[in-house]
This record gives sequence, C-alpha cells and structure tokens, in this order.
Amino acid sequence: AELNKHPVEGFSAGLIDDDDIYHWEVLIIGPPDTPFEGGFFKAHLTFPKDYPLKPPKLRFVTDIWHPNIDKTGDVCISILHEPGEDKYGYERPEERWLPIHTVETIMVSVISMLTDPNDESPANIDAAKEWRENKSEFRKRVARCVRKSQES
Amino acid sequence: MGNCLNTPTADDISLLRGSDSQDGSETANLGPPPPYQESVPIYHPSPNVSRTVTQLTEEEQIKIAKRLGLIQHLPTGVHDGCCKKTKECVICMGEFILGDRLRYLPCMHSFHKDCIDDWLMRSFTCPSCMEPVDAALLTTYETNN
Repeated sequence: AELNKHPVEGFSAGLIDDDDIYHWEVLIIGPPDTPFEGGFFKAHLTFPKDYPLKPPKLRFVTDIWHPNIDKTGDVCISILHEPGEDKYGYERPEERWLPIHTVETIMVSVISMLTDPNDESPANIDAAKEWRENKSEFRKRVARCVRKSQES
Repeated sequence: MGNCLNTPTADDISLLRGSDSQDGSETANLGPPPPYQESVPIYHPSPNVSRTVTQLTEEEQIKIAKRLGLIQHLPTGVHDGCCKKTKECVICMGEFILGDRLRYLPCMHSFHKDCIDDWLMRSFTCPSCMEPVDAALLTTYETNN
C-alpha cells in the first residue's frame, strides 16, 4: 500500500503510530462559510490490508453533527463504499470506491460533504431532518460541536 | 493513429488455473504448479461480499467465470519503455519498469496486469476513466468487424 502525502488546504494527515501505515489521523478544518467554520475535527482513517482495491473507513473522533456522519462518527459517502455492481442499482460503480483515490481525494470529498450535505442518503436521520426542516437548530447544534472541538 | 500496444500473446490461462487449483487433485496433470498464492483465493461477487470458491452460489460462480473469460480477452503485454504517456500504474502508484507485465483496457489505459486483474474482478470499470469495460469491449468488437 502506497499512500502519498501532499499538503492540501483544509486538512492535515499523519500516521497515528509510525510503525503502522494502516491507521491515519486526519485533522479537518471546518470549511469557511459553513456552519462548521472554525472547527477542528479529528478523524481516523483505517486502511484495509487489500488497499487500494478496497476503500479505507473514515470515522470522526471529534463529536460532529452532520447528515452523512452517523452518531458513532462513521462517514457515509459513496466514494468510500466498496466497489462492484450494486444489486439495487443504487449507486453506479463509478460513484463508488476507485483504486486511484488517495488520502487527498478522500479529504476533498469529505470537505465537500461538510459544505454540501447529501440528505438523500443520510447516516444520521435526525441531523438530516434538522438540516432540512430546522436549519437554525441544526446550526446551533453544529456550533456547539465547533466550540467543543476548539477546546480539545 | 499510432499504436504501441504489444500484440496479445496466447490466452493467459493462469487466472483459470488459479480458480481450479481449489481442488488439489485435479491440478496434478496441468503442468507446473500455479505461482505461490498467499492463501485460498477470495472472490468478491458483489460489494461487501468476500467468499472462497466453495462458498459461492451458482449465480456468483457464473458471474465470476464470465468475468474471468472477459478479462482474458483483454490484451496484455510487457512494458518495453515505448509508451511515453503512461509511466506509472495508478493502482499501486509504482512506476512501470522494463519487463513489467501490463494489461491494456479498451479505453487505452494500461496498468500492471496483477493490479488491474484484481480490480476487474471486483468492479468491471476502468479506474482511470470509469468507463465500464464490458461496454467498451463490445464497441471494440463492433468496430473491428
């Protein structure tokens, strides 16, 4: 598994333990002009042994309130879904994982997910409902997460 | 248009042999043993499904057999340093080295044979341009005939 490191605006990444290349920690800066602005969100990327044929898993360790991140912190975006033909035709193969993705392209997708949540396939239904029906309550809740993320 | 593809060699049967070798007794008269494999081959008939040959349903076996057949119709070659355009395999991010076994997809993207074959068994799409390989194969047949 070859993982590259390139500086990209909006996040930083590194190994949790220098001897284990399968576990990365990333720090994502809440994108400007979104409710997440000002937040520092820590997340762990776990690579499978057959990377890059299979996608890594991404889990936020900092509390975060977002329609596409479930309550345990697991991120649900299509490019992190295992490759192959989906029986239900829900996602086209090209929307799923591709072995050309890197930590950088994953993080770009995650930042775009923060900017623009996809409420059609929510991982956190309550957050999705709030985002759709009660934006001010959603913002308040995110603001609490942002504040909490600045303390730690 | 210039073409620096190597002419495909005889059909590569190593993939088939790999799947046959489950049953040790039948491989005895197939010549040299298949190359070292880490363990029993694992197949991925659909997302989040990993099975050994004996765990596959009939439907999955057919799907895999068809896939293996199609993959073997894709041309292979050995990197001879002539293709200046592609320098590295985007799957393993390793540079192509003289003598590396490559496989070419109908969309003209090339990869290390071992890297792309593993991928195509999971998803029949080109990792670079996301073109479905089966559709592209059909177009190639049509233009050739």
